[in-house]
Amino acid sequence: MTHEELEESVPLYAAGALDRIERQALEAHLLSGCASCHSALKDYQSVAALLPLGLSPTKPPRSLKATIMAGRNPTPIPAEAAPNEPARPSLEPGEWMNHLFPPVTPARSSSLPWALGLAALLIVAVGGYFAWNVSTQRSIDTSNIKRLEASLQEKSATLAGLHREVGDQAKVLAELRNEIQQRTNEAAEAKEQLAQREAELEDTRVQLSQQSSMRTVRPPQDELATLLRIPNVRVVSLTGSDMAKRAAGFLLYDSQTQKVWLYSVNLPECPAAMTYQLWAIYDKPLSIGTFRMDRGETAHLLVKKVPSFTNAKTFAVSLEPSGGRPQPTGPMYLLSRS
Amino acid sequence: MDKPSRHATSMIDPTLLARVVKGDQQAFSQLYDHSSTLLFSLAVRILGNHEEAAELLQDVYLEVWRKVSRYDVGRGTPVAWLVTLTKSRAIDRLRARAARGYRATSSLEAEPAAQVADLGPSPFETQADQELRIAVGAAVAGLPQAQQQAIELAYYEGLSHAEIATRLNQPLGTVKTRIKLGMSKLRDVLQQWWNHGELQ
Repeated sequence: MTHEELEESVPLYAAGALDRIERQALEAHLLSGCASCHSALKDYQSVAALLPLGLSPTKPPRSLKATIMAGRNPTPIPAEAAPNEPARPSLEPGEWMNHLFPPVTPARSSSLPWALGLAALLIVAVGGYFAWNVSTQRSIDTSNIKRLEASLQEKSATLAGLHREVGDQAKVLAELRNEIQQRTNEAAEAKEQLAQREAELEDTRVQLSQQSSMRTVRPPQDELATLLRIPNVRVVSLTGSDMAKRAAGFLLYDSQTQKVWLYSVNLPECPAAMTYQLWAIYDKPLSIGTFRMDRGETAHLLVKKVPSFTNAKTFAVSLEPSGGRPQPTGPMYLLSRS
Repeated sequence: MDKPSRHATSMIDPTLLARVVKGDQQAFSQLYDHSSTLLFSLAVRILGNHEEAAELLQDVYLEVWRKVSRYDVGRGTPVAWLVTLTKSRAIDRLRARAARGYRATSSLEAEPAAQVADLGPSPFETQADQELRIAVGAAVAGLPQAQQQAIELAYYEGLSHAEIATRLNQPLGTVKTRIKLGMSKLRDVLQQWWNHGELQ
């Protein structure tokens, strides 16, 4: 710190507003013997010491004086009796007053009689002090012990307070930990539930897709089942011709939906570039539709929409070139019995 | 301030302390009578609590009785010495209390009746003391509110400038300036009063 900074900190020192490091810095500077800072501090300390005079006077309780008078030791303890006092707090008045008024060392007398007189006095004083010291040592020790006990008690109370505080803090911490644990558990549970819901959702999706795929497959079958339950649907059975003696089939016609259903079994595999063609025959054959039987296939369901063939008496399936023909050109494979 | 204690010294005669040094119980009783109202007012202002202030005063006076021989007449006025000792012990208590997380159970504002009741002059208060009390009160009241507040936080609550800055949410430099200006103004006003017997 510069001298200017130190000088500026003097009023703050007097008001008690410096922190420990700044206070120590200024005290060290004052001890170095700076006259201007000494003078300034003396002024400001005088002001500071007067400040409480500006307070509204409050009288102490009447009983306090009696308590204090009763609490004294019989005699004050001489300063020499307690040379090893513990370090005093930094605000101890003696410290700053040391800066203000450095302890005065008595001027040495040049006069021999004075010196002798002083020496004699010193001997008497020392002798008296030792005599007094022996007789009062006990009471001094007792008072010192009492003071130490009081100090110890105060420190113990502070310690107990701190212990309580630490205990309270620990309790709060434990509660917070429990809460965190609880929250963690809840989060884990929520995560588990989420995973479960996701799994259920996935299952539902799978089921949904299965159902939708089934739906794409099943409509004709469902429709066929429904068709079979309709009383006025027309049913025609077909048998295999000489070309395919093991073949058979039946044909359903629902006039309401105008749909023909041909269910055929055991028809031989279609040769290349050939196809089966279903005919409704009344006056002349009417093509209803074509279908193929591939290798390994034993049954086939053909569904076709036909406006009307209520008068048709015979139904037949012939083998025709791919794409079918307007009239049957190939051999018959299935024929209705009618 | 070449005559810093013309009036303050009139409150307690330094020879009274000299008699206390010799173990004069009557002198000790007189010392109490002359200083206890001032010291109790200071303790109540710092601690905000009458019971604790009474406990503190008991400690201070017993300390004075035991260690009074440490006081040197050449080291300042008895009042300054007693005020500084009381303030120091009260601030120590305040800090110990803060360390325990304890707050004052009753503030000064909570006890206006007690203050009003005690406003009368002490039977031991001389004319000079009354004048000094009024002069100091007027000098403090004459400060701008912000300077007064900063000085009081340092002086009566033992806060450092940094702590005051935090408390008031003000820049550190501002707080330092307020204390410096306030103390400087108090010094000038009181010096004027000492020199000419009138306030600026």
